[in-house]
Amino acid sequence: MITALKSLGNASAFWFILPCILVLGLTSLYPVGFGLVVSLTNWNWGNQFDFVGATNYAELLRDAEFWTVMRNTVVFATSATAIEIALGFYLAVQVDKLAIRTDLIQALIMLPLMVSGIVVALMSKVMFDPFLGIVNHLIGAFGFGPSAFYGAAGSAMPSIVAVDAWWQTAFVFIIMLAGLRGLPTDPVEAARVEGASEFTTFWHIKFPMLQSLLITVIIIRAIDTLKVFDIVFGTTGGGPGQATEVVQTYVYRTAYSYQQIGKAMATMILFSILILGVALALQILQRRGEVDR
Amino acid sequence: MSARVERLNDRLSRIWAYVFTGTMVLFSLFPVYWVLATSLKTKRDGLANPPLWLFDPTSTNFLKLWTHDTFKYTFLNSVIVTIIGVALSLAIAIPTAYAIVRMKVRGRNLVGIWLILAYMLPEFLFVLPMFSLYQWTGLYDTHVGLALMYQVHVLPLSIWLLSSFFREINPAIDEAARIEGASNLQILTKIYIPCTFPGMVATAILNAIWIWNELAIALGLTFSKAQTVTLGVTSFRGYAALDWGAMTAASIIAIVPMLLFAVIAQKHIVKGLTLGAVKG
Repeated sequence: MITALKSLGNASAFWFILPCILVLGLTSLYPVGFGLVVSLTNWNWGNQFDFVGATNYAELLRDAEFWTVMRNTVVFATSATAIEIALGFYLAVQVDKLAIRTDLIQALIMLPLMVSGIVVALMSKVMFDPFLGIVNHLIGAFGFGPSAFYGAAGSAMPSIVAVDAWWQTAFVFIIMLAGLRGLPTDPVEAARVEGASEFTTFWHIKFPMLQSLLITVIIIRAIDTLKVFDIVFGTTGGGPGQATEVVQTYVYRTAYSYQQIGKAMATMILFSILILGVALALQILQRRGEVDR
Repeated sequence: MSARVERLNDRLSRIWAYVFTGTMVLFSLFPVYWVLATSLKTKRDGLANPPLWLFDPTSTNFLKLWTHDTFKYTFLNSVIVTIIGVALSLAIAIPTAYAIVRMKVRGRNLVGIWLILAYMLPEFLFVLPMFSLYQWTGLYDTHVGLALMYQVHVLPLSIWLLSSFFREINPAIDEAARIEGASNLQILTKIYIPCTFPGMVATAILNAIWIWNELAIALGLTFSKAQTVTLGVTSFRGYAALDWGAMTAASIIAIVPMLLFAVIAQKHIVKGLTLGAVKG
């Protein structure tokens, strides 16, 4: 084992990266390997540990609940990512136009990013309370609502998407603002001298240069929203009914409440394949964009 | 378009930029303000209908938390786990990043892909199989066990960040030091670590924020002794209908350390997030 690892590099480099290999091996390779085995069994955390082949996978793919959960997750991830990217990028473009120092503005907009998901969830429960919450009170002043928010199947998912947008839009904003500020100024100035409007300059000069960075941010947000757990766990817990059940809350319940660890692992493995697929597809899109230019 | 219309357009667009930015700042701040206000209200004021904008602030909710033993311990646990987790991540990531950037490591690309996968795959893929291993080995519900598991996420990020900081150092310096007879370890500790100190701080802060705020892994691998503050806050989830004061006060206490970070180290955080996105 040691000699095999040693062939990774000269002796000194080997000792430098050994701790990393050991820790990452324990915390990622071992669980994935053991998890693959478990996904082929009917393990219940206890003595029941029989190999059942691909039964877990076959049953999942036939299970309507599994597909509901998958659909919810994808719907959440797509809408949250779309809103955060649009809002965050637009905000970055606006802040980039400001003629003042923006350190304080950036710090204030970044505030939600510092808050943990579970706290965000509880905060939203206070604000989205159907009867006493401030949000119904405020939208009522403009003649809207009242909404049941988390209380009704139709409004629960949009509410969670809105909460995620409040929480994570700043991430897109910070990266895209850094991108905008890092752009070379010459082509932009040249276009302005030629009389191009602000919009034309943005669309034809700045945007193409930012496209690759934008796709990177989309990849990060897409993966992160697919993995959503905290804000669902802390607000609806997957309800009402199954309106907001997402993969990670579903797996948590399957494993810890129903002790069906084999089924939970099979779900996790199918889900990981989906995440890898999404990441790969987006990256291919990015590569193609770079080759085109 | 005449030049005058053009100028007017530019001015309107400038004004809109200020209006929109201002709205978004309010949008970001208001929920935090409102939760802080709720935590300072008496139970009756907190549940008033319509909601109260003006009220007599009270510290009752915070004082009650202070005597709430479970919550106090979860806060302390989070401090311990965060310190261990951050120390571990730097201790492991610093030599790894150095080796990747400045030494011959065969299979470097493979390590890179491994880091990306570990970083991006979902928490429960790792946590569920670890649950049984942790119970067998006694790591379950311990600070060290939790801090160790957090490495699956913070190590990749730390290695990306640190390697990009190390790359900024001119390799000619290594050569000079090596001619003087310095070993790799000496070059790392005497040159690389001091020169990239701000980068180390940025990495440590980002890791601390992530560990402090993490829920899923803590939920899966702790039970009582090592429960973190996110789980402490979770225990107030059921209070939603009756005691907003306790719930909001706990939320505020859980986010205060991170808000302090944000104020003190905003530049570092922005730098870390930006680099992390570009590298990752």
